[in-house]
Amino acid sequence: MPAAKPPLPQPDVLTTSFWNACRRRVLEISVCGDCGHRFLPPGPCCPRCWSPRLASQESSGRGRVDSFAVYRRTYHPGMPAPYVVALVELDEGPRLISNIVGCAPEEVAIDRRVEVRFEAADGFSLPRFALGHGKESAKGGNS
Amino acid sequence: MSRRAVLAGVGHTEFGKLAGRSAWHLEAAAAAAAVADAGVQPRDIDGLLTDPGPAQGVLDGITPHFLRLGAQLGLDPDYAGSEILGGAGSVAIVERAVLAVEAGLCELCLCVYGDSALSAPGSFAYGRGDEAAFGFFGAVGLHALAARRHMHRYGTRTEHLGEVAIAARSHAARTPHAQKRQPIEMQDYLASEFLVEPLRKLDCCLVSDGAAAVLVTTEERAGDLRCPPIRILGHAQAHSLSTYASSDHFDRLPAARCGPKALGRAGLAPADIDVALLYDCFTIVVLLQLEDYGFCKKGESGAFVEGGRIAPGGSLPVNPSGGLLAEGYGGGMLHVIEAVRQLRGEAGERQVAGAETALVSGHGLGMNTHATLVLGS
Repeated sequence: MPAAKPPLPQPDVLTTSFWNACRRRVLEISVCGDCGHRFLPPGPCCPRCWSPRLASQESSGRGRVDSFAVYRRTYHPGMPAPYVVALVELDEGPRLISNIVGCAPEEVAIDRRVEVRFEAADGFSLPRFALGHGKESAKGGNS
Repeated sequence: MSRRAVLAGVGHTEFGKLAGRSAWHLEAAAAAAAVADAGVQPRDIDGLLTDPGPAQGVLDGITPHFLRLGAQLGLDPDYAGSEILGGAGSVAIVERAVLAVEAGLCELCLCVYGDSALSAPGSFAYGRGDEAAFGFFGAVGLHALAARRHMHRYGTRTEHLGEVAIAARSHAARTPHAQKRQPIEMQDYLASEFLVEPLRKLDCCLVSDGAAAVLVTTEERAGDLRCPPIRILGHAQAHSLSTYASSDHFDRLPAARCGPKALGRAGLAPADIDVALLYDCFTIVVLLQLEDYGFCKKGESGAFVEGGRIAPGGSLPVNPSGGLLAEGYGGGMLHVIEAVRQLRGEAGERQVAGAETALVSGHGLGMNTHATLVLGS
């Protein structure tokens, strides 16, 4: 029996650009052309001022752990436990759900600095995060 | 005479594994029980609102659940619909029925929740769009993020979550129809496996087959019914749809907004509530609601639940029938029904002495939706 594959993103009209950027190892965030608000996930308009004039910007890929959860039970055969799901707050402001990789779950803590690490997955490039250096410093996390 | 809406008949099936009975069978049985409780006939029903359970596969909002149930019940009502608000759905359809009845759109509105999630499982561990690629499955992971933040910000301990689970089982031990009636102690809780840390199996609601129904009618019409009417003192909804874009999405439930509105309409303060029926899909949601409804200060719910304060005999009994954690997953409609029974004084061994006011809540989807009812005898 072949090994189970994890679920994959399903790019749609709103998210195709985001996932294509990931393949170039760019974490793309949406920027409002009118009010300058930066946001994720991508949408049809600025969620703050409803302007349809949108652009995108390359994130530094650095941020902090806003919260995290350690999956101890395997819910999908393609995602064996344990693994860490985190809500990451990017330095630019937007938050996204991702994984913290490259460390034991016990090392993850709220407010730890993290840095994006793209990982190939069946034709996709997934923006996961690794622990960086420092704590709560806007300049930290460059490892 | 007033067109003020009241809660009249209530009814439900057993909850647990009810093999061989589809959600449709269960919903029909709950509807019949509610109609019998009120002493009305099926042909008297002129409103139908439904909250299909999560395993019915209608969370996409496409399948018209009320249409199928309405056909099965032979109804041609003046008002009908389904709500897709996750765990806030049952409280929300009762609220919608109140609005419809008070507006004169219908006079006897049947509100039904049902599911056969144990016998026809499938959709509880659903992925959340692209987030499934990161293994972010199920409501438990989402609530684990909230629990972790509460622990980090306020020093809440795993034992505080345990107090909620233990209280639920203590209540259920006094509830003949509850799915999990065996009491547990802290050592049992601490031995419970982590599913998504910091949440353990005992932090999670049950999965159940079962259905529950409530009839909403006018005060005037209720005078002819065989059951005592329960008054709607206040109601409100609030939602947090911006999700992660909101910096306090995981810290403060929309209950903080709709709670004061519903209580304000009732002219009551949190301290005036005799019994609380708080949506308890996970223990952490009970802690958050105790704070966000104002039963205690923000960050202090852990200390609040110590010493059995929400358990039987405590100063604020929460979910005296056991709730989603122990009575069974009733989508929130069992919470409404338990409030009615407590206010009627029909709750038997678990009756909260002198209960005259109740607050009922529903909470759902990605911690996005919330609805509140304040009821009085």
